[in-house]
Amino acid sequence: MLATVATTPTCHPELVEGSRRKSFDLLKARLPQSVSVASSRRAAALSFEVLLPTAIPALDRLLGGGFPSGVVATLEGETGRWSLAAGLVARMTRRSLVAILDDGGLYPPALAEAGACLERVLVVPAGKALAMARAADILLRSRICRLVLMPAVALRDAVWERLAKLAHRSGVLLIVVAARAGAALSAVAGMRLHCALERVLMHGQRGLWGTVAGFEIRVDVRKHKHMAAGGSARVRVECEEMRDAALR
Amino acid sequence: MLLCVNILGNCLSGETPTTVLWEEMLDALDAVSPLVDDVRPGLAFLDMHGIAGGARAAIAQARGVLTRFECAMRIGAGPNKIAAQAAAHVADGTICESGMERALLAPLPLRLLDIEPTIVERLKLLGIERLRDLARLPHGPFVRRFGAAAASWHELARGIDRRPFVPRGQAVAIESSIFGEGRASDEAQVFFALRMLLARICADLERCGKRAGALRLSVELEDADACDFDVSLALPTAHERTMFEMLRAKLDGATFAAAIVGLRLQALHLEEGGEEQALFCADDLDPQRVAVTIARLEAALGSSVARAKTRDAHLLEERFTYEPFKLPPRAMLEQARCSGLVPQLRLLEVREILVQIRNGEPSIVDRQAVRQCTGPWRIAERLSADGQLVPSGVEGRDEYDVVLEDGTFARIYHQGSHWYLRGVYE
Repeated sequence: MLATVATTPTCHPELVEGSRRKSFDLLKARLPQSVSVASSRRAAALSFEVLLPTAIPALDRLLGGGFPSGVVATLEGETGRWSLAAGLVARMTRRSLVAILDDGGLYPPALAEAGACLERVLVVPAGKALAMARAADILLRSRICRLVLMPAVALRDAVWERLAKLAHRSGVLLIVVAARAGAALSAVAGMRLHCALERVLMHGQRGLWGTVAGFEIRVDVRKHKHMAAGGSARVRVECEEMRDAALR
Repeated sequence: MLLCVNILGNCLSGETPTTVLWEEMLDALDAVSPLVDDVRPGLAFLDMHGIAGGARAAIAQARGVLTRFECAMRIGAGPNKIAAQAAAHVADGTICESGMERALLAPLPLRLLDIEPTIVERLKLLGIERLRDLARLPHGPFVRRFGAAAASWHELARGIDRRPFVPRGQAVAIESSIFGEGRASDEAQVFFALRMLLARICADLERCGKRAGALRLSVELEDADACDFDVSLALPTAHERTMFEMLRAKLDGATFAAAIVGLRLQALHLEEGGEEQALFCADDLDPQRVAVTIARLEAALGSSVARAKTRDAHLLEERFTYEPFKLPPRAMLEQARCSGLVPQLRLLEVREILVQIRNGEPSIVDRQAVRQCTGPWRIAERLSADGQLVPSGVEGRDEYDVVLEDGTFARIYHQGSHWYLRGVYE
């Protein structure tokens, strides 16, 4: 409506200016008070991007629907970061391939327990930083996976920049799991999440008859390309049998 | 009209021909008719429909091409397989005219039908020794007594043959090579030559209506050495660009000790028909692209891309294996379940740690106080390949899950007099 008024050639300039102002005020008045300018911008930006939901309601709410595709995202902290990544892998293997660059720490049974279809997970063994960068480069260029997961390694700034560009161009989500992201990785990351242990969930007593059922983590948004940082959510990470028992 | 060629044996040894010799005979018979049904070594049928000259001329021609093998043979002709076989059985050069099948078959023995000897014995006990006896039997009761196969025997005995004529496949070899005076020391020259070879191979494949499931590239070097590269294609194809991508990916990590002087490319695992195409499904995976990427990764990293498989075992390290990655079938789509967040154990390089014990359980691990501790779980045996429990071969170990004061959630174990850190839950 604003554009129509502004481009009408027969209108007098002062009249046009007045109409524009009036129309803008009218539109502004119609907006609910709770909707800020920032959030409307965010909604507009998100609508053009494919979001990869995690299927964890609290997390999806925090992230405005899920992880945006085509970015480098970091999962940081000591506890819970790989659990979060495994949840996303499980979700993604329902429809596409996922690649995991393995430095030898991958434990596939836990991934399977999280619900991942292992037949759709490419495990790429890459022990050294250079091998990991090359593998990530090849995978991002090929576009055969919608998610590439890798542990953080020491790479040059230019390499991280190149990987971020490739992720953006190919629309693939590259998740880097790190205790703490370095300066270069932080700079290129479109999203940074930090996981911190809140409490440990025990099942039964200590000792032989007890089991650590899981833990509760707090996920903080440290950086998000479409929204302000600072939001947080609590997420429970539980062993499958414990969750089944709770449901029963 | 069909021709039956029955080789009775080598004139010298009296034995049935070997497979190699039989294949040579069949190749020779291709000169008589392009359609040859290879039933078994020593017995073949030739379809003479549409070939000018008549049955007698065809028999003479077949005998002519087989003379050099010096074998005793009988050749007969008939309107169907059983009639032609019966004609050959009666006497060499016999021709059974259409409508005379039953009369020709009547005095012949049962063994002409390839019936099991035990059943032939049972039939003989019932007084059935010749095909005429079998043909006289009522169809229904005979089939009810001797099963479904008996229906076919009964029809054959009456000269009715419904068995299909199955022409033998022609072995097609598609390959191309370049050997020149010069030598290639630059990869661009090699790729240029490869493109030429691939263009020829793909043209041949297209001409034959076939697809290749694998390629073999033989590289001959100036120092007389040779290297072979086997490239398996995820989906049999006749697409030049896909093949080139695969070959290039395979050659990415290869180094040669000397300059290349020759290339030979073979198309293997040939299959009939066209390729399956994904048209409107954005989520469908392109197998060729996946295969190219895997080949490129393997060439770059020097190790194979794998997929994990879980299995039942007691030891953590034995609960999974890796196997070469293969694209799952499309039926797998949507079968994966989503079960929320689950603690993920990250395996660390096993290292010895210092642990202090209080009240029979770890209280200090690596100089940190233990907040929570569960266990121990004794593991003293393992699963063998056939699923049997056998002693682990090493000393049994006691595993614990511990939560340390800095929030680390770890799996540790006690073996002998030492403590080890196995992994961390993240």
